[in-house]
Amino acid sequence: MDVTEILKSLTGTFPEAISEATAKSEIRARAYVDKEKVKEVCQYLKDSLQFDHLCSVCGVDYIKWNELEVVYHIASYNHPVVLTLKARLPRDNPEIESVVPVYWNANWYERETYELYGIKFKNHPNLKPLLLPEDMLGEWPLRKDYEGFPNKTARNLV
Amino acid sequence: MEEMLEPNEMIIHLGPQHPMQPGPFRLNLKLKGETVMDAEVELGYIHKGIEKILENKTYLQGITIVDRICYLVALTNEECYVGCVEKLLDIEPPERAQYIRVILEELTRLQSHLLGTGEFGGFIGFVSMLMYTIKEREDLLSLIDMVTGARITHSFLRFGGVRDDLPPGFKEKTLPVLNNLKKVINDFEEMFHSDRVYKERTVGVGVLTADVAKSLGVSGPALRATGVPFDIRKNEPYLVYNDLDFKVCTETAGDCFARVQVRLNEMRESIYIIEQCLDQIPNGPIFPENSLYGRRTPVMRVPAGEVFHRVEDPRGEMGMYMVSDGSDKPYRVKVRGPVYPTLQALPPLIKGTTVADIAAISGSMDGCTSEADR
Repeated sequence: MDVTEILKSLTGTFPEAISEATAKSEIRARAYVDKEKVKEVCQYLKDSLQFDHLCSVCGVDYIKWNELEVVYHIASYNHPVVLTLKARLPRDNPEIESVVPVYWNANWYERETYELYGIKFKNHPNLKPLLLPEDMLGEWPLRKDYEGFPNKTARNLV
Repeated sequence: MEEMLEPNEMIIHLGPQHPMQPGPFRLNLKLKGETVMDAEVELGYIHKGIEKILENKTYLQGITIVDRICYLVALTNEECYVGCVEKLLDIEPPERAQYIRVILEELTRLQSHLLGTGEFGGFIGFVSMLMYTIKEREDLLSLIDMVTGARITHSFLRFGGVRDDLPPGFKEKTLPVLNNLKKVINDFEEMFHSDRVYKERTVGVGVLTADVAKSLGVSGPALRATGVPFDIRKNEPYLVYNDLDFKVCTETAGDCFARVQVRLNEMRESIYIIEQCLDQIPNGPIFPENSLYGRRTPVMRVPAGEVFHRVEDPRGEMGMYMVSDGSDKPYRVKVRGPVYPTLQALPPLIKGTTVADIAAISGSMDGCTSEADR
């Protein structure tokens, strides 16, 4: 499937939810998605455009714009196009719908993004820390204003 | 899990330290007799925070860090990281450097598959298998050592090229090793096909169908064993893989036996690729001409942008997402390893099997906890 075809179909179906859809090369595309519509867009991508493989979900902290981004890399087992889908969230109280009902393997990626960035995934079946110990919850270590864990613990212990 | 326990059920923990595991992770099992009713994987025992470390290192320093994601496939990890930076810088290594990279990455694939097969033998009680494969792997490591100067963590790839050219006499030393390996792979295959106990432990155990494997997000040999010809080297060719002749090995059964068979066939293909490379490799520079980039690249700034690059790791699809803000350090690096979804797919695979089969199933998926934890 062609990249421009995919983007045209996507923006045609979700004219309000999808913005800044651009093709970066023949096999890479990028689009911003409204945070309320992530699940519907993913469902459409999976059912109609053969995007049946979720590569990864990750967060990025853009502290100078006071914004967190959730980045979904969605690929296919049939064609080589990888779509980078991004959702902008406010830095205080970031919340977004979970895509686990659409892509089963989003489960761990969302848990990891939650513990590292503090992004809450609504309706996630089991949202608890995956890699970090329980007492690091609330530190959000991959945010850019993270100061380091030992200092914080010492402060908490006193 | 505990609240839902019935009187004749019990919970046991496999790990974090257990001989059947490729690294420390914990498997919580709910058992009814010998049957697994429910399973849960707990990670984080060797979480190294590599993504955070990479944000605080310059691009060149980052190469040594990505080596440590998983020492078995250090060169493939480097290829993915260096490929990201090269796409951001918009440079391409010269042809000779690309051939050197392909040779080394296929040698990496060979040694990883050898260790994977050997470990799998160890897990199902065929411990001599590990001795056989380790012996052959040592020869391959010596070849890589000859070029890179290190057995496991190489720091060999550079932006736009490779650190050193191939040493004199490399081809003459490589060909006998490969010829020997061809014979050994045939021996392994014969051993597997004729051993009744081995077949009973593997045929029909841990069956994945193509649809299930796709929905679980599995890639690599575990997916190809179900009949899906998904290989990044073919689907999205990088380096000179487009000019090389090789086929994607698939099987249809999707069980443990098929996964090991796919690995053995892939090793044959890798040997064929290396032989072609040694014949075709052109003379020339190993860095782009008239370029800033060389063996000792000074502190460099990478243009702002973002890129997602994928390569074919021995265990599956390895991808990295890199965001640059124009400084000398990456703003964000996300490592998408192949083992992470494979480990995630373990609980649904082992549900309903017996405890003895867990080792066979998790071994045949060829995991590496170090990479899943990062």
